Amino acid sequence: MILELRNIEKSFGEKKVLTGVSFKAEGGKAFGLLGRNGAGKTTSIRILMDVFPANSGEVLIDGQPINYSKIGIGYLPEERGLYPKKVILDQLTYFAELKGMSRKSAVQSIDYWLERLGMIAYRNKRLDTLSKGNQQKIQLITALAHDPDIIILDEPFSGLDPVNAMLLKDVVKEQISKGKIVLFSSHQMSYIEEFCDSIAILNNGIVALHGDLRDIKRDYPRDRLVVRTETPDAIISDFGSSCTLMENGDLMIHLASPSEKKATMTRLIENYDIDEVKVFEPSLNDIFVEYAGDAVKED
Amino acid sequence: MKQFGKILKFELKNYAKNKAFVGITIFLMVVIAIVMFFPRITVLFKANDNSDTSADLSVMLVKADNPAQADMVRETFAASFTDYDVQITDEEISVIKNKITAGDAECAFVMNGATSYTYYVDNLSMYDMNPDIATGVLQQIYQMNAMISGGMSLEDAAGVMSIQIDGEVESLGKNQAQNFFYTYIMVFALYMVILLYGQMVAMSVATEKSSRAMELLITSAKPINMMFGKVLAACIAGLIQLVAVFGSALVFYNINNSYWGNNEIIDSIFNIPPELFAYMLVFFLLGFLIYAFLYGAISSTVSKLEDINTAVQPVTFLFLFGFMVVIFSMTGGSVDNVLMTVCSYIPFTSPMAMFTRIAMSTVPWYEIAISISILVASTFGIGVLSAKIYRAGVLMYGTSPKIKNIIKAVWKA
Repeated sequence: MILELRNIEKSFGEKKVLTGVSFKAEGGKAFGLLGRNGAGKTTSIRILMDVFPANSGEVLIDGQPINYSKIGIGYLPEERGLYPKKVILDQLTYFAELKGMSRKSAVQSIDYWLERLGMIAYRNKRLDTLSKGNQQKIQLITALAHDPDIIILDEPFSGLDPVNAMLLKDVVKEQISKGKIVLFSSHQMSYIEEFCDSIAILNNGIVALHGDLRDIKRDYPRDRLVVRTETPDAIISDFGSSCTLMENGDLMIHLASPSEKKATMTRLIENYDIDEVKVFEPSLNDIFVEYAGDAVKED
Repeated sequence: MKQFGKILKFELKNYAKNKAFVGITIFLMVVIAIVMFFPRITVLFKANDNSDTSADLSVMLVKADNPAQADMVRETFAASFTDYDVQITDEEISVIKNKITAGDAECAFVMNGATSYTYYVDNLSMYDMNPDIATGVLQQIYQMNAMISGGMSLEDAAGVMSIQIDGEVESLGKNQAQNFFYTYIMVFALYMVILLYGQMVAMSVATEKSSRAMELLITSAKPINMMFGKVLAACIAGLIQLVAVFGSALVFYNINNSYWGNNEIIDSIFNIPPELFAYMLVFFLLGFLIYAFLYGAISSTVSKLEDINTAVQPVTFLFLFGFMVVIFSMTGGSVDNVLMTVCSYIPFTSPMAMFTRIAMSTVPWYEIAISISILVASTFGIGVLSAKIYRAGVLMYGTSPKIKNIIKAVWKA
């Protein structure tokens, strides 16, 4: 299954929020929707979920306009919140029923998820008796209980301790392996890098970068080497201004052109005590800052 | 439709679990029970106190220069003022005054002749009817004496004085006095219920918004289902509450029927004509719905719970205006004045105004039909519009919204 947003345009009053936004997310893979605050992520998600219509453009599933009565969508909003004064099972059942489940299968599915997330003891407790992290796990169930085809997780890891984060990772990986479309929106680049095969970076309502993460990284010119060594000073004096010491103690060597890669590597290994030498690939963080960061200049 | 049912059920359950709602209902039923049992309870107390009531009568003094006149006045006063122990006195006026201020006597009539008296009392109550009664009695005595001295026998004179006039009143339209009470009760019930439930709907929407449960709801359910589910749940809860309160009133009244005697007011309330009851139901439901939609829509634009009251104020004022027009027209006795006629077609005031006119005056059927049609159409229209405002409103956070922005958002949505 392929979810596609094609040429979405949206304005609120005078303010244009999305301009020609297009991206594709595939089933069985995780997709990362990135962007700075106010870049249009939440608006894109809301249009995708039919909360309000776009001014123009299409939301497609396998090339056909999406049929919301057939395609289930699970959503973990960035602004978390349920009914604080209500019993957990009651409100989870209510949300599952709103998504079209029968009461019986809703309770069954909710019990499965409560068990899976280690929350079954709180089944009949009020939500506000739980800690923030546990409330978040309850909220996650509202996104998963009705076994949706598309799962949208907005900042899913914020507020979780490492153990719960691990639990969530397992759940997400399991959903991906079931062939679902998992759409991540997050500022925590390490998680996106870990999960997502493809990404789209939104900048001021425009898709600044879209594609397979590995391809994006490969497309960067391969004209820099990262060197880890016990004797950096000798190398610095040898390579001069083309060599810089990085914050983590590694060296970065700028090549005049990518074709010098092999010769330089050989020269390093033959002449110095080298622990590791590799071609520099930008991290997602670097890519994000490069593509989303120029909004600062434009503003 | 399925989704609407789920929302309706969920919201109704909330009312059933709402301690304030259940508490108010039970409290009202208890108050009604006490009121309805009141005559029975007072009879019980009276039965116990019967022995020493006569000793407790307050003293009324009568002073006249002429002893014959004093005797006659005392006799007739004793018959007219059964709540008093009427005593003749020939003490000085200053002594009488002292007695009254000291509390030994409650009041005194000092005769200045056959057609003039002075009434002395400590604090003159607003409802003191004694001078009026005394004037009437003295007038009769004077007239009797005049007839007797003119040659009429005492019996004939008494017969003339006690002549009874038989009169019958037949109202060709509505009897306003008789319909007044249940019209008043319906208007007042509508007033209470709309304010109470309007606030509840507003709170329910605003709480979901401020707790951010809205983020999930708006992506799970259609706004029109949310709005109609919430408002109809409030409507059903309101009806259940009214049935509980008025139903218990009816039951308790029937239990204590014999103690109430033939109380015309209460009889008129419980003997409301069926077709009027049907109108009452129609106007009540439509009036309730149209305001509940407005309250729901407006509260969806509010970000903080504290701001609800200020935000819904315009609606409350609109509603109060209609209420005032109706109440003043009712008590003024002319329910067909221009303002009332206009108000009985405007959807926000017509539930109270048109019902009052139907109950207390004669309104042609087509006027009723037009009024109800306008009301039904606008209730539905406001319902749909409120769902639109709701969809636009619930996602607007931050500063309190301006009407201009809301209209813009609704237009664009």
